[in-house]
Amino acid sequence: MNAPVPGSGRKATALGLAVAMLGAAAVLSAGAGETRDGLPGQAALQLAIGAVLLLLGLAMALSAIGDRNRGVGGFRLNHFLPFLRRRKKGEPPATLERIGSALKTKLPAAWFSDYRFARPGRLRTGLRRFGVSLLSAPLRRAIQALCLGLFLWSFFHVCWPYSAAPAPPGRIARGWTVDSVDQSDGRLRLTGPADADRWPAELEIVHLVLDEGDAAALGAFHSTTETAGRLELTPAEPLSPEAFNRLLLHVGPAALHERAPDAWPTHHADHLARKEKLAAELFLVIDPLVSLSTAVASRNAVWSLVCAAVILIICVAIPRGFCGYLCPLGTTIDLFDWIVGRRVGRFRVEGRGWWVHTKYWLLATTLICAVCGVLISGFVAAIPVVTRGALFLGEPLQTGLLRGWRLVAPMNVGHLLSIALFLGVLFLGLLRPRFWCRYVCPSGAVFSVANLFRVSERKVESSCVNCNKCVEVCPFDAIKPDFTTRTADCTLCQTCGGVCPTHSIKFVERWNAIDLKPEEEPAPSGAALQRRRFLSLASGATALAAGGGAAAAIRHHGARPDAPGATLPVRPPGSAPEQEFLQMCIRCGECFKACPNNVLQSQGFEQGVEGLWTPRVVADWAGCESSCNACGQVCPTGAIRPLPIEEKKAARMGLAIVDESACLPYADREACQLCVDECVAAGYHAIEFTQVHTRTDLNGAPIEGTGFVAPVVLAEKCVGCGLCQTRCHGINVKEKGLLRESAIVIKAGPGREDRILSGSYIELREREARTRRRQGSAAPDNAPAGDAPTPIDGDDPFGLNGL
Amino acid sequence: MTLRIRHSAPTRIIAILRFAILLALPLATSADTIEFLNGSRLEGSVTAIDTKGKTVTFRAVVAGRASSQTYGYGQIHAVTMKGRRHVLTPKPASDTPSSPDAGAAQSRSKAEVEALIRDVGSTPPSWLGTTRLNYPATLDLNWPMPAPKPWNRNKNVGQFIWDTVNPNTGRWREGVRLMYHLLDVHKRPGATRTRVMTSLASMYFRFFQDYPRAAWWWRRAGTGQNGNDAVALAECYFRMGSKEMAKDALRGQPMRAGMIKLLGDMGETDAAVSLADRYVKAGGAPQEAHLLAGDACRLAHRAQEAIERYQKAIDAPARGQRAKRLQKFQDRARASMAAIKLFDLSDARKVADGTYRDGSLGYAGRVEVEVAVKSGRIESVKVVKHQEKQFYSALRDTPAQIVAKQGVKGVDATSRATITAEAIINASAKALAKGAK
Repeated sequence: MNAPVPGSGRKATALGLAVAMLGAAAVLSAGAGETRDGLPGQAALQLAIGAVLLLLGLAMALSAIGDRNRGVGGFRLNHFLPFLRRRKKGEPPATLERIGSALKTKLPAAWFSDYRFARPGRLRTGLRRFGVSLLSAPLRRAIQALCLGLFLWSFFHVCWPYSAAPAPPGRIARGWTVDSVDQSDGRLRLTGPADADRWPAELEIVHLVLDEGDAAALGAFHSTTETAGRLELTPAEPLSPEAFNRLLLHVGPAALHERAPDAWPTHHADHLARKEKLAAELFLVIDPLVSLSTAVASRNAVWSLVCAAVILIICVAIPRGFCGYLCPLGTTIDLFDWIVGRRVGRFRVEGRGWWVHTKYWLLATTLICAVCGVLISGFVAAIPVVTRGALFLGEPLQTGLLRGWRLVAPMNVGHLLSIALFLGVLFLGLLRPRFWCRYVCPSGAVFSVANLFRVSERKVESSCVNCNKCVEVCPFDAIKPDFTTRTADCTLCQTCGGVCPTHSIKFVERWNAIDLKPEEEPAPSGAALQRRRFLSLASGATALAAGGGAAAAIRHHGARPDAPGATLPVRPPGSAPEQEFLQMCIRCGECFKACPNNVLQSQGFEQGVEGLWTPRVVADWAGCESSCNACGQVCPTGAIRPLPIEEKKAARMGLAIVDESACLPYADREACQLCVDECVAAGYHAIEFTQVHTRTDLNGAPIEGTGFVAPVVLAEKCVGCGLCQTRCHGINVKEKGLLRESAIVIKAGPGREDRILSGSYIELREREARTRRRQGSAAPDNAPAGDAPTPIDGDDPFGLNGL
Repeated sequence: MTLRIRHSAPTRIIAILRFAILLALPLATSADTIEFLNGSRLEGSVTAIDTKGKTVTFRAVVAGRASSQTYGYGQIHAVTMKGRRHVLTPKPASDTPSSPDAGAAQSRSKAEVEALIRDVGSTPPSWLGTTRLNYPATLDLNWPMPAPKPWNRNKNVGQFIWDTVNPNTGRWREGVRLMYHLLDVHKRPGATRTRVMTSLASMYFRFFQDYPRAAWWWRRAGTGQNGNDAVALAECYFRMGSKEMAKDALRGQPMRAGMIKLLGDMGETDAAVSLADRYVKAGGAPQEAHLLAGDACRLAHRAQEAIERYQKAIDAPARGQRAKRLQKFQDRARASMAAIKLFDLSDARKVADGTYRDGSLGYAGRVEVEVAVKSGRIESVKVVKHQEKQFYSALRDTPAQIVAKQGVKGVDATSRATITAEAIINASAKALAKGAK
């Protein structure tokens, strides 16, 4: 028995309080940061880290206070419900008991156990009903449930775009006339028509439209004073000389609009921003394998690396805590094991076979592939697997039930493969509970490797009675036969602590050596060591070969976007250049879920394995909403850049191309202007008309009323949203059966799309426009020069008498 | 992670410049003043006057920025220079001269119309200066007539106007700009210059309903005496407010179908109808004449008569070389007849009780609507069948609006869901028309 170390408790308390304060500071600054930067994702992350630090610090401080007499040197993370045991005389109560006795004064006594007679209370009996792991570590189960709930909420609620509604058109008052314009600051006085309604005073911003046909507002004004039928307006921003000139020269009525008539719709973007209190892709960005492999594959510092680093740091304090507490796939597997796995015994495997190190091989293979520039982590990393599972199984269900089954997008081989993979992961649980997490999951392997730097760990004290309960209960196969810990596997779930009848298990700092169970030295035979070394060498070599082979194979049968005749799918707006895109896209499917009307759909094997499950625009199905920027906002790796809506509307994803042999007017079949109407309605104005098949009379003059107007795509304005294609396909192909496929089709390829990793798309457009103007100066822009001005003098300087 | 765009404006330099200009301002000039037609005034200095081109160049500090602008006489009411006030253009009595249909509402004397043509018609529109000159570099600005074959919109000016300018609203200003450019190119009087002027007049007339400018250019071209241009010029006079001038211009002209329309627009419905009959008797296309007569009747709210006329247009046999063109008149007659029935008769008060169902083409296919009417009130509007994937808002909002407004008139298309909303409106109107008593 070690003597209590005087003063160490106080030191621990101080340390704990310091950590807690650091956490509190992080939480507070995150709260402030949210309002300042409008980056809820990062703020939330900071909040999470802060909260973890806060809890950790409090736990340290509290445990030190509670167990001072036991002489604990550092900190204790014990939060399990200890097995019911009569306390020895003179033994101080444990921390949880202290909290419990504090609660006892408030809550009914029947809820709590009676320790003197070892009789369990209602809480305990209630928890036991759900199983021993819930009884032993209820806090862990609560966190798991919370995280799975959060994941499902993010996926099915936040990424559900169909509750967005466009803003109402706003009030319009016509027939106002401009009385005067203040030369110094552009202030306006207007008079309303005789029957003018009072312009509502609560509308502070007014958009003045001089020419209804022009559809563009002159600008925004503050309406300052109003008497009946009179209004004074102050420009919200200084007027340009052109705008000023238009005001001076304008004769006739002007209209007051509540909303700018040419304002770009933003309802989908606003809707997502409003709902996204926490980044919708939170779990994806904290899966370290996702960001690590993406960064390596694309040789690019993806921003989610920061999040991965943070979670790894947290997991140094709580080794593999991600797997035990946070991972929604793990929790799903737990649920599956609880519901199905425990009832099916025939597939169970015993012992520790060849499979136990699969996760390291997979991790090595993934990373080697990434080094070779091929990203396969999306196929096997935990969070992408569960996200895709929820996408391909849950999303059709959600859409079908809530919006109608005909809106469920068709499936391809890729979908089925992904569903099979997800079910495969679940059904591995028939072999052994959480078989995937224990032995296969490469994301878990990252944490296992990180465990080399752990600061806390499970320890067994000398009071152990070798009852083997902990070995049986451990869900991660992390307790060796001698009851010590396989530190690479332990997730600090603390179930073992809860079942230990002698309270011999503690979760403390790594260097704690107080009162430990003496290690039995099972003298390892030299042969065994040799074998182990050989095996690890062999498996390492295998992984290397497998990784290299896989990378080579995928590349060989891959996308090869630079090769002539390569399949070039239309990617979401703001996508990285194709090769980088394939190296950054983790194939999680988050963008499919957030995309209104399923414009983005999962690709099959069109680009080989390399393009499997990547997003492509299926414009026959639906067109890209002009008010939406969701795909980039929810992308965890930046394969689709998170663009503000103004940037997104300038980012080209493709170019509409008219098939003149099929298009109804071009083919001289019938009048049709569906695509032009659609483009105008969407606000792009990228398709204009041209007259075709005009007949001429004998003089060669066109005959009025002959021929058709046909669409011409203006390449400099088209962003490739695909709305035109959707409409042509919906009406001419499906409804009327006039065509076999849409006569206007969005195509990707060099010069048709903007695939850049950084920089502004708006500036890109402006640069192009400048270049065009320079080149197009074949049309000389000679403003009417006028004759030499006459001297301003004499009685008739304006030459009025000469008329 | 949000991409942030930097606004890099050298604001400091601008501020210094502004300050310098403000300092220089009092030294620069004893302020001249321009009064514009809408009553606003601008102080600055007249830097140049072009008495031939009738423009004034004026330099002023506006909202802290100095700029120089050239205005036509027609845009300025008066200029005060060195204490003397020169009135360049009399203020319009009340309404705008260039807004569509405004002229018809207000009648003007012959002298007033002449003044309008002289003062406004002769000036370029305010947007001309900011309109880009935009035409294919391969365009042959000599505009030979007849145009060389084959048809080539990138070479022949007329074919460029026909194919590219006419069908695109966004190109109309550019079209006018090109005509002014051609006037500069062809300075000497001749057939080409006349062609440009006629084109310009026609553009003002067709695109902008800018009657003073159209009239001015037709007169300058000298082509407004006969043919279709004469009818159009007459319409200009009418639109500017003088029926007398319009009638004078039509007098002695050979019959043309366009005259029926003009007479109808002028409210001379009986004259229009009788002209149509005479036109048919003289061998004109009955499809066109009856259609236009029907339009005239519809405008005068003589719905029954209009329907009869449209029926005549539809019944007339369309044969021969021009069959396709004549069929177009008949199609229009059918559409107008349907429209009368739809919108003029789709008043819920005149609809028998019951539930009516009809459809119209929406975004992705047919949208079917069921309208329930009970004792002259629209009880409910339901979209019963549709294939729309996008723009769901219209499916909810538009029926609610139709019920609230008790009809299809004045129902806004929900923003961004225009196509679906219009389909619902049309389908509802068709459904209501089914039950018209």
